[in-house]
Amino acid sequence: MTVSEFSKESGYAVFTKGEDRAIETGYCGDFLSNIISRATDACAWLTVMNNVNVAAVATLIDCACIILCEGVEPDEALYKRAESLGIWVLGTNDNVFEAAKTVARLCGV
Amino acid sequence: MGECIRLEYDVDGENFASAGHASESVKRTLKQMGVSPASVRRVAIAMYEGEINMVIHAHGGRAIAEIYPDRIDIYLRDTGPGIADVDLAMRAGYSTATENIRSLGFGAGMGLPNMKKYSDEMKIDTAVGVGTTVFLRIRF
Repeated sequence: MTVSEFSKESGYAVFTKGEDRAIETGYCGDFLSNIISRATDACAWLTVMNNVNVAAVATLIDCACIILCEGVEPDEALYKRAESLGIWVLGTNDNVFEAAKTVARLCGV
Repeated sequence: MGECIRLEYDVDGENFASAGHASESVKRTLKQMGVSPASVRRVAIAMYEGEINMVIHAHGGRAIAEIYPDRIDIYLRDTGPGIADVDLAMRAGYSTATENIRSLGFGAGMGLPNMKKYSDEMKIDTAVGVGTTVFLRIRF
């Protein structure tokens, strides 16, 4: 399922948009060093981090989208960077576990 | 030794927002040169960790990338506090980062271990009170 399809099906907020790629797996984490060494590309990355470095890390891992969980919204710097780099940033009030279940269920991953 | 493409960047120590610019730029260049995605990823990760270390610990510095047909050599130079115990710093999970840094998602103690993991050669020249140069070589 592509990111735009996922955002419609899940009803998650869309903060920024990018290339509409398929979500092939998921990764949950907030420590950026763990993420860049362990997350695989084309994943949905679920996190509660919302600072500008999240955009840099998302670029490095080539994730399909970032999903900010637990009601977290991108701060202004992240919003601008994600928009300029063309990175999908979605948002949900669900906690990370519930959001991961939604990704797994809708995307079949 | 063949001709190389040399890229040089200032890493701004006061600005977390710009951290990652050098590794993003090198990543783009390697992609355009047709280097394999797996190699590009290793370079980007190792270099990003190095950049972040310079911002967190050393008030910034210079990042130099020399791209050869078969490899990239990266030099990360700073005039920060130096590393007192390199073996300890290399240990996964060891970090001297502050709570403030951790709240930004850094300070997992994986920076140097990740740089070693994703490079073929790594050398640390450091002196307390003088600075640190990290050399990374990654073969494509």
